[in-house]
Amino acid sequence: MQPFEILLESSAKAHGHLCPGQIVGVRMAMLGCRLIGLSEPTRRDQIKKLIVYVEMDRCTADAVAHVTGVKLGRRSLKFVDYGIMAATFFNLETGKAFRIISTEEARDLAAVYAPEIAEKGSRQLAAYKRMPDSVLFRVQKVHVNIDECDLPGPTRRKIVCSVCGQMIRDKRESMIDDRPVCRPCSGACYFTHAREVSWPDMNWSPGEQTPANRTNRDGDAGNRRFAIQ
Amino acid sequence: MLKKINVEDAVGTRLAHDITEIRPGEFKGPAFRQGHEVCNEDICHLQKLGKNHLYLIDLADDEIHENQAAAILAQGLAGEGIRWEDNPKEGKIGLHAAMDGLLSVDAAALAAFNMVDEVMCATLHSHTLAQKGQLVAATRAIPLVMKRAPVERAAAIAAQHGGVVSVKALKKAKVGLVVTGSEVFHGLIEDKFAPILSGKVTDLGSEVAGVSFAPDDETLITTAIRNHIDSGCNLLLLSGGMSVDPDDVTRKAIRMAGAQEVNYGAAALPGAMFLVASIDGIPLLGVPACGLHHRVTVLDLVLPRILAGEKITKKELAFIGHGGLCMDCPECSYPHCPFGKGM
Ligand SMILES: [Zn+2]
Ligand SMILES: [Zn+2]
Repeated sequence: MQPFEILLESSAKAHGHLCPGQIVGVRMAMLGCRLIGLSEPTRRDQIKKLIVYVEMDRCTADAVAHVTGVKLGRRSLKFVDYGIMAATFFNLETGKAFRIISTEEARDLAAVYAPEIAEKGSRQLAAYKRMPDSVLFRVQKVHVNIDECDLPGPTRRKIVCSVCGQMIRDKRESMIDDRPVCRPCSGACYFTHAREVSWPDMNWSPGEQTPANRTNRDGDAGNRRFAIQ
Repeated sequence: MLKKINVEDAVGTRLAHDITEIRPGEFKGPAFRQGHEVCNEDICHLQKLGKNHLYLIDLADDEIHENQAAAILAQGLAGEGIRWEDNPKEGKIGLHAAMDGLLSVDAAALAAFNMVDEVMCATLHSHTLAQKGQLVAATRAIPLVMKRAPVERAAAIAAQHGGVVSVKALKKAKVGLVVTGSEVFHGLIEDKFAPILSGKVTDLGSEVAGVSFAPDDETLITTAIRNHIDSGCNLLLLSGGMSVDPDDVTRKAIRMAGAQEVNYGAAALPGAMFLVASIDGIPLLGVPACGLHHRVTVLDLVLPRILAGEKITKKELAFIGHGGLCMDCPECSYPHCPFGKGM
């Protein structure tokens, strides 16, 4: 793995700014990988061994994903929305898993670890670099029970919603009266009032020289918009 | 795990912890020690101490007794120059100075340690002069039974820079004194600086290898400084001429003598015009006139730290500010006062 400062710089660049969350996240990822025995998590031979569960969608999560190379699209990054500053690093090959929790007291301790810096933000950044892992984190050894349908690799199961006909992958259906139903149809869903619509420039495609595409290049596509009914 | 039992049913069991007895003005200490097997005659005594119930301990794999915890904590807290015995009394372990010297406390690690739930450590102030055997810190785990992991984490936090408390012996320096000022040099007024500074040096176990006097002349002061260095002094004290008056040339002379890292000004009263520099790696302290009129000044805060091998820079002189104001008590009780205790 690259040195901390290099990882921090690239992580902050990818995330958009340097913030305490980047420092905590980079260090959390370095510690997590060390604990489960992966020295180069982004290298070809190790990339498939790692799964990371992040328990918050905050700055820290970006840094953890950046350093470890885990990705939503690879199914190696799992977001579990607990609102806890923690992440679990799971080695698929060995089954070893450690959950690393960022301590709340680290915030209060910034003043004693960087007393010479008065400005709160810079003080926090400096202090989070100085604190040892033992102050910044608590670590739990955990068992992760991962379902086969949550693993990376090919889709394990496809099934069609008995209400709307939507294809559902990897056992995400619920069974209602012994029939598979997709999440939107089951009602346990983040949106309501779904209604299919048509939209402007419906025939646009990036590859084909359609009239719509040419207009796009001329930059006046915005003038041709019309309201969706 | 703890199980509560009636004291009458305790005969034959072993005590889970020390039981303290306080007889006002007479005795305070453990009436019974942990591990003592309770016998019939003890029941009355225990009841008199207000103990109608006792705990029986059944430790799970990941649990430890407070005494074991205290030992793990003490191990992490103790840096060099610290001695402690694995013989907790009422759950506490004391950390003692292994020799005369200067106590140093890693305040950040101490704060982080105490932020861990259910453990505590209290210390004397950092930079306190400690005598061999003196209690400088004490620690304990608060509950009778604790999980092992947080105790070990607290111990690791304590050990992050080699222990929260450490005592360093003061080295015996050969000190060269330069007393500046034309009036003293020409015998118009009697010098009082040399005896005061010599007293402070010898009190800390060092020796004054030479005292020289120089008028307010930068070349002559420079020569005096160089002579002390050439004759093997490894610490220089200069007095007088430290203010911003045009006649005060000592600072200029210090630079001419080859001083690097000159830090002029300390956040202490008395002692604002104090100066710390180094020449060829030899520390040089410039003592302003306040050293004549006050029993204790910033010099008393800095000199022991220099002798303990600490490097004093702008940062150290600045951090003295919190607690750096002398209260000018009619009867000075330093070091038993807040002066210089803020850091
Ligand atoms: Zn951020
Ligand atoms: Zn459906």
